Parts: sequence; structure tokens; C-alpha cells
Amino acid sequence: MESRKVIFRIKRFNPKKDERPYYKEYEIDVPKGMTILEALQYIKDNIDPTLAFRAFCRSAICGSCSVKINGYPKLACKTQVFNELDVYNTNILTIEPIDNMEVIRDLIVDWDSAIQKMEKMRPYLIPDPEVVPETLDEECKVYPHELKKFDKFTDCILCTTCYSACGIVRVDSNYGGPFPLARVYRFAVDPRDSLKKERAKIGFSFDMWNCVRCNKCADVCPKHIAPVDGIMKLRGLSIEIGLRNNPGARHVMAFYKSLQESGMLNEVLLPLRTKGIKGVLENLSIGIKMILKGKAHSPIMKPIKEHETLKEVMKRAMEVE
Amino acid sequence: MLQYDILIVGAGGAGLYAALETSKRKGLKVAVISKVFPTRSHTGAAQGGVNAALGNVAPDSPEKHAYDTVKGSDFLADQDAVELMCEMAPKIIREMEHMGLPFSRLENGKIAQRPFGGASFPRTCYSADKTGHVMLQTLYEQCIKNNVTFLNEWFALSLVHNGERIAGVVALDLRTGEIHGMRAKAVILATGGHARIYWKRTSNALGNTGDGPAMALRAGVPLKDMEFVQFHPTGLRRTGILVTEGARGEGGYLINKDGERFMKRYAPEKMELAPRDLVSRAIETEIMEGRGFKDSEGNEFVYLDLRHLGKKKILERLPQIRELAIDFEGVDPIEEPIPIRPTAHYSMGGIDTDIYGRTIIKGLYAAGECGCVSVHGANRLGGNSLLDIVVFGKLAGEDAANFVAENSFIPFDESEVRKEEEKIKALFDNDGKERLVDLRNELSDVMTYGAGIFREEKKMKEALEKVREIKERAKHIKVYDKDMTFNTNLQQTLEFLNMVEVAETIVLGALERKESRGAHSRTDYPKRDDENFLKHSIIERTPDGDLKISWKPVKITKFQPEERKY
Ligand SMILES: Cc1cc2nc3c(=O)[nH]c(=O)nc-3n(C[C@H](O)[C@H](O)[C@H](O)COP(=O)(O)OP(=O)(O)OC[C@H]3O[C@@H](n4cnc5c(N)ncnc54)[C@H](O)[C@@H]3O)c2cc1C
Ligand code: SF4
Ligand code: SF4
Ligand code: FES
Repeated sequence: MESRKVIFRIKRFNPKKDERPYYKEYEIDVPKGMTILEALQYIKDNIDPTLAFRAFCRSAICGSCSVKINGYPKLACKTQVFNELDVYNTNILTIEPIDNMEVIRDLIVDWDSAIQKMEKMRPYLIPDPEVVPETLDEECKVYPHELKKFDKFTDCILCTTCYSACGIVRVDSNYGGPFPLARVYRFAVDPRDSLKKERAKIGFSFDMWNCVRCNKCADVCPKHIAPVDGIMKLRGLSIEIGLRNNPGARHVMAFYKSLQESGMLNEVLLPLRTKGIKGVLENLSIGIKMILKGKAHSPIMKPIKEHETLKEVMKRAMEVE
Repeated sequence: MLQYDILIVGAGGAGLYAALETSKRKGLKVAVISKVFPTRSHTGAAQGGVNAALGNVAPDSPEKHAYDTVKGSDFLADQDAVELMCEMAPKIIREMEHMGLPFSRLENGKIAQRPFGGASFPRTCYSADKTGHVMLQTLYEQCIKNNVTFLNEWFALSLVHNGERIAGVVALDLRTGEIHGMRAKAVILATGGHARIYWKRTSNALGNTGDGPAMALRAGVPLKDMEFVQFHPTGLRRTGILVTEGARGEGGYLINKDGERFMKRYAPEKMELAPRDLVSRAIETEIMEGRGFKDSEGNEFVYLDLRHLGKKKILERLPQIRELAIDFEGVDPIEEPIPIRPTAHYSMGGIDTDIYGRTIIKGLYAAGECGCVSVHGANRLGGNSLLDIVVFGKLAGEDAANFVAENSFIPFDESEVRKEEEKIKALFDNDGKERLVDLRNELSDVMTYGAGIFREEKKMKEALEKVREIKERAKHIKVYDKDMTFNTNLQQTLEFLNMVEVAETIVLGALERKESRGAHSRTDYPKRDDENFLKHSIIERTPDGDLKISWKPVKITKFQPEERKY
């Protein structure tokens, strides 16, 4: 059977012993079909028993084995070595711990902080006595279309891959992060929950408006969940419950108004509506620089031709939502 | 020393339900320790579903559920336990539903149910193909809500008791490497199954190494029906990861080296859709008689061929199985057949308990796959294990809470902590003449060929010898990693030592059970023998270190044994 010689360049670090992380290389013969996790275990069994990494189910359901492979966070157990070699056209694979969490040892990171954040966000059903029967003689009625609203988000295996990839998590220590916020949304639209839309307040207090919609969390999720979608919908709920008095919500409202009025985004009016005059003045110099460098539009805009149609589309979209 | 009223070891479905139950009692100090973060427990891997006679799709009753279970068990299950479980099933399913578990739904909003092997009605509640996963997540969420204390990535090493009452547990904090005495009035073991003993051929998670039964055995607590290990016919060749029955359900073929659909020799009518144990035996026979394939790593297998179904059908109906084959075998079933072989899947046997999870040591309980109540007897029905773990997790939790209300702590002998420290030190100091990986693979082969799908006196005697030999050789395994921060080399070695210990009980039980019943199939005794073997095997370790086997009657209430015909 086909096999290839592969060099695994693995980042090693034991904070109790090593001054700084270093890379160690291991060359092994990889048969077709071998996963990154199996390769790691092979190295541990046969070359270096001190290599430390986490794994449990080896079938992409427990979320233990997230690591960075050539810079990209993935589940080691779900990743074929040959595939990676082909994608990067190389015989060297670099394996590192995932980001945004402290390294305990080698590829093992401390995800407590991420989980603790989630735990503070009340990620559990608080039954609505109006919906959930008092006795166990009957079940709640949940219709398939209701389930559909949150079903996908219950696929989350807490692998923290998305959390490790999110830039806002890195810069804002209060930011809830993709999977915790998506879980808040999951409960917000569960008909059995008593907080329901009010849960948006939790998202609000964990800076959900700071998400920049870069979509990284969606790109890396091994379960094909898009946490960002949950966050956007949670934002929607916050506007619905009248939680508007914040830059994020105002930004969305301004965005909407601007499209309504002109069919285009007015990038000058947008900050004005979002942040008020004071905010705009603070950012004015950056704005002017951006216009001069051609990175922003001139504040003077003419309505576009398709504006009326757009307005209609938006109106319908709002009705559907 | 750490001190709790109740200490729960294991955070799968059984451990979490026990924790939830105890968290309802005010003033109890309860902690759950688990060697992995709770939601990583193996319960999450269960896809199919969980049984309960809700009657949402067709009229059904707990009694019919009980009958199917007893019949499926080949009449070895204790019928009082089965009746209790089936009676509680609808309520506990609704309880979890009220906690937010996202079951799949019918158009009328009720919980959907689907048919499953061995059940006479569509009785299996499910959540798409992620039932165990959402069950685990939901229970974990509720535990957070109830402020349950979790000690994650802690490894239980041994039980401490005075011969009558439990005193606590000795455990290793994997992150720091510290060894702690943990005092408790009651201890509930919920450490899951042990099919990892068949290392190279199992659907189980890496940590399903029988730590609970091994600890119990060392502490003099008996194990029950250990010879019964369930194999699932279609595990992936290299990893043993499960390819669910859906693939055959949609019309997949099983093919041998000669390109032949060999099931025609074993079940000409049902072909690939014959019962699990029959299909498993057919595949093994093909391989034994030289009609299987062998790859360069030495794996033997046959093919599960889906290609004739066509790309469209595979993409529409079997997308998960396709993803699995691509991710874990590097094979796209649209273009290539999937290499498969039966895989060790479920441990019917375990720590001997009564219906409240009580063991012979007062205050020591066991629940879930590590325990044996017994509701699965010689063969578990699909969907009954997820039910078993929640029902008996709950009952053990309740009983333990009652127990601690009436009992005080007993002294904890601190020398037990030092004993474990010394054991671990010895592992660092060994000569290293033997390697963990070699012995682990050898144990896997010995068990697969000696006490696997087919069993026979001579081979089992050899296997028993070999397991004992491996146990001796294991005294030379050295732990090379000396750093106590997250020492996974140490952890894997400790797990292996537990597996060898449990393996011996499986072979011994299998050797002594001279009949064929359920998953236990002896070529030298092909018939079920109710006259001599309608009884549970009980194995315990005597103080001088030998294994002692005895027997215990099966509890029969309503259903008289009859021939198991399908
Ligand atoms: C692939 C697969 C599919 C399945 N599908 C189904 C299905 O569809 N329906 C069904 O009913 N059943 C199914 N089963 C069976 C079922 O999933 C298991 O029997 C059940 O989940 C076991 O639950 P548990 O709580 O006993 O143990 P687990 O969920 O295995 O939990 C064990 C816990 O114990 C901890 N632990 C173990 N040892 C130690 C130690 N030394 N120290 C500290 N902690 C320890 C672990 O960390 C873990 O938290 C399936 C099994 C497999 C393998
Ligand atoms: S879309 Fe939002 S949550 Fe997702 S990675 Fe980007 S900033 Fe983070
Ligand atoms: S959302 Fe996806 S990437 Fe994020 S923790 Fe859940 S499963 Fe992992
Ligand atoms: S080992 Fe469980 S997700 Fe990879």
C-alpha cells in the first residue's frame, strides 16, 4: 500500500521547564489513510513518549484534539495526513497548539477560560412554566420548524476551535466568543425557554456587538456550524427587545436606514448615526485620511437606479425575519 | 484531604445523571471527577437513539419493551431490573426533554421515534444522528445550572474501603501530577465501557479502558457476566470506527476477495440485513477461511460496497457515512468500496450491582456501562444503553443521597495514597524491557483471536495463558516521561494495566461458560444451555491475587425462557 515519508514539525513547550517554545521534528512513514492524530500517537508510541496532546473519541465527536496544522486549526482525528500534504504540496507538516488559550504542555491548552465564560452566560434551558408541563406525563410540543431554528447550534462539540481563531477574543477579554454566544442564541429561540429573547441581554453584556463578522469561526468549525450566524441573530433579537442604545445596534439601524434612503451605504453618515457627533469628530482625521487614500467614499452620494427595488426587497426581508 | 459527601467517578450519561439527582438535595457536597472534560465522555459518540415506550408513532407499552429486551438478552437479563428500566423510560425521556434535549420531532410536535433492531415497534427516540451527543450536552448544561462541582482531567487510581464501607478514592490530578486522597461517604463509579481491550478493533474511545471494573476488582468487588462483549459488524478497517447500519439498510453489499457477495452463504434471504451477530460471524468466517483482504499494516478486512447505489443516492442518503469514510479511511465510497471488519463495541458485563447500583461494599455504587445491573444479559439491544445509563445513574444518585443522609464518614487510611505514589514511582523506575505499544497490540490480538467473535476451549486456554504472560511482562513497562504536568505517557500506561486486569476476567468467564448465548458464541458448544448456564458468572479477585468464579441465578419474573428465533 502507498506510504509517504513525512516530517512532523511539532511545537513543544512545558512552561514549568522550558524558557520558551521550540520545534521538534519527527520523520515517520505514513500509510494512506492515516490521520494526524494517529501519526501523533505513532510518534508517542515509537519515538518520543513525552509528546503531550489530547484525544479521546478519535471520531470527531468529543472535541478533544483541536490543534493547528500548518497554521490552520483543525481536529487532528478528522484530518488525513495525505490530504494535508497535497493541499500544501509539501512533506513537512507543522503541528502547533491552538491560539487564544494558554499552553499547559505541548499541544495541550487550557480551555478553562473559554468554558468558564460560557458557563457564566447561563448556557442551559430555564423552563418556561407556560410551555413545559409540570408533570412527566407528557412532553412539550416542539414543532419541526421550531426545532430547525436552533437545531444546528446543538451540534457544537465545544472543541473551542472557533474560539481559538477569533480575533476579537484576542483583543477583548470580555468578549463572549463564537461558540458561547451561539449557544446563548440556541436557548433564546428554544420555545421551551423562559428567558427567550431576553437572552440577548446576556450576549449584549458579553460584547456580542464587537463581532466583526470576519466569518473565521464559520470557516474553521469542524461541525459546519456558523457561530457567527447565531451571533447575528442574537443581535437581531436584541434590537427586537429594544436594546438599541449602543454603538453596535445603532450601527445596524444606521446601516438599514442608509440603504432605505439611498440604496447605498453612506460611510460618512453611518458613523454619525452610530456614534453621534462627538464620536465622528474623534474619528474624523482617520476618515479624512481614508477618503484621501481612496479607501472610503466621498460623503456626497447620488441615489442608485435600483433603489426602489432594493427598498422593496428589504421590506420583504424584514417581514420574513 | 479533599472531602465530599458523594464522589462520582465519571461524567458520561450515567455520572452526570447521578450528579443531577444529588444536586437536587440541599446541603450535599458532591463532586464529579472525570479523566476527560465531561462533554468529551464517550456517551457523546452514540448516534442511533434511546428507547422508551412513548407510543408516539405506534401503540406501545413498557411491558412490550421489557419483553423485547429480555428476549434480546437471550434471557440472561434480570427481569426485575428490565421491568423497572422500561417502566421508568417514558418519564426519564420526558424529564430530559423538559431539560431542553433537542429530540427530533413529529409533525404534531411530539418526540419522533424510529424502528431499531430487535424492537417490535418504532420505540427509539433520537436526535438526528447525534442522540448521545445532545444527551451529554443537555445533562452537562443542567449540571452547570445546579452548580455541580467538576474536577476535570482527574484520574481515579484506586478505591479505599475497610471491607464493609467505602472510605473514598485515590486520584491523580493529570494537570499537576499530584495524587490526592478523596474522602467520601459514598462513591459512584460511572467510568464507562472497556471494549478498548480489543485495542486495534473497537468502536470505543481511547479511554474506555475498564478503569472502574479494574479498580473494583483490585478492591475485592465482584464483576458480573464479563464474558459478554458485543461486536458490531461494520467497523472501519484501520480504526474500528463505526459505520452505522444505515449503509446496509440502504442496500450496501458485503464483498470478499473473490468479489463474491458472501452473505448468500449465511443468510440467503436477509443477506446483508441479517442480525448483527450473524453478520459479524459471517465476516469473520470469510476472513478465517482466507477469503478476506490483508493490507500492508496487517489489517484483515472485507469490503462494504456502496458504489452500485450511485453518487446521487450516496450523497442524499448516506452523507455522514461518506464523510466518515473520507475522513478516517481516505476512501470515497462513491469511487471505492469501504474496507471494514467487525469491531468490539459494547461491554455487557461489569461491576456486579443490584437495581440501585449498590455493590457489596456499603456506600460504593456503580452505574452505566461499567456496571452490570443486569438489563442487557448476553446481548444488548440498540438504544437500550443510553436508557440504562440515565435510569440507573438516577437511581444510584438517589440511593447514594439517602445513604449519606444516614451515615457518617469512616476513617480514610492515608497509607493508601502513598501506596499509589509508590506504584507510580515504580513505573518510572522500571527497566523498560517491554514497550507499552507492543503489549497493547499483543493484548488486542490475543483477545480478538482468543476471546473474540468465535470462541473455543483450546484457543481460550492459550489466550488466558497469554494474558497472564502479558500481565507479567507489563511489570517491565517503563514510563519514560518523567514530568508530572499532564503526563499522558503515565496515563496510557495506567490504563493499559487496567485493561490487562479486566481482560483476564473476560477470558476466564468465556472459558467457563460452556454454551453459546447472545454475543458469546462457542464453536465447541454451539447451543444455548439453560439447564446449566441460565445464570450470571461472578468473578472476584481473592486476597492472594487469584481470580475466583462463581454463579448467581438470573431473576425471572414474567417471561419464561424460550428459544431465541428471528
Ligand atoms: C460508537 C458507539 C455508538 C453507540 N450508539 C448507541 C446508541 O445509539 N444507543 C445506545 O443506547 N447506546 C449506544 N452506544 C452505547 C452507549 O453510548 C454507552 O454504553 C454509554 O454512553 C456509556 O455511558 P457511561 O455514562 O456509562 O460512560 P461514558 O460516557 O463512557 O463515560 C465514562 C466517564 O468516566 C470517566 N472515567 C473513566 N475512567 C476514569 C478514571 N479512571 N478516572 C476518572 N474518570 C474516569 C470518563 O472520563 C467519562 O467521563 C454506543 C456506543 C458506541 C461506542
Ligand atoms: S465572525 Fe465574529 S465571532 Fe466569528 S471569528 Fe469573526 S469576530 Fe469572531
Ligand atoms: S462552534 Fe464549531 S468550532 Fe466552535 S466549539 Fe462548537 S463545534 Fe467547535
Ligand atoms: S479525538 Fe474526539 S474530536 Fe478528535
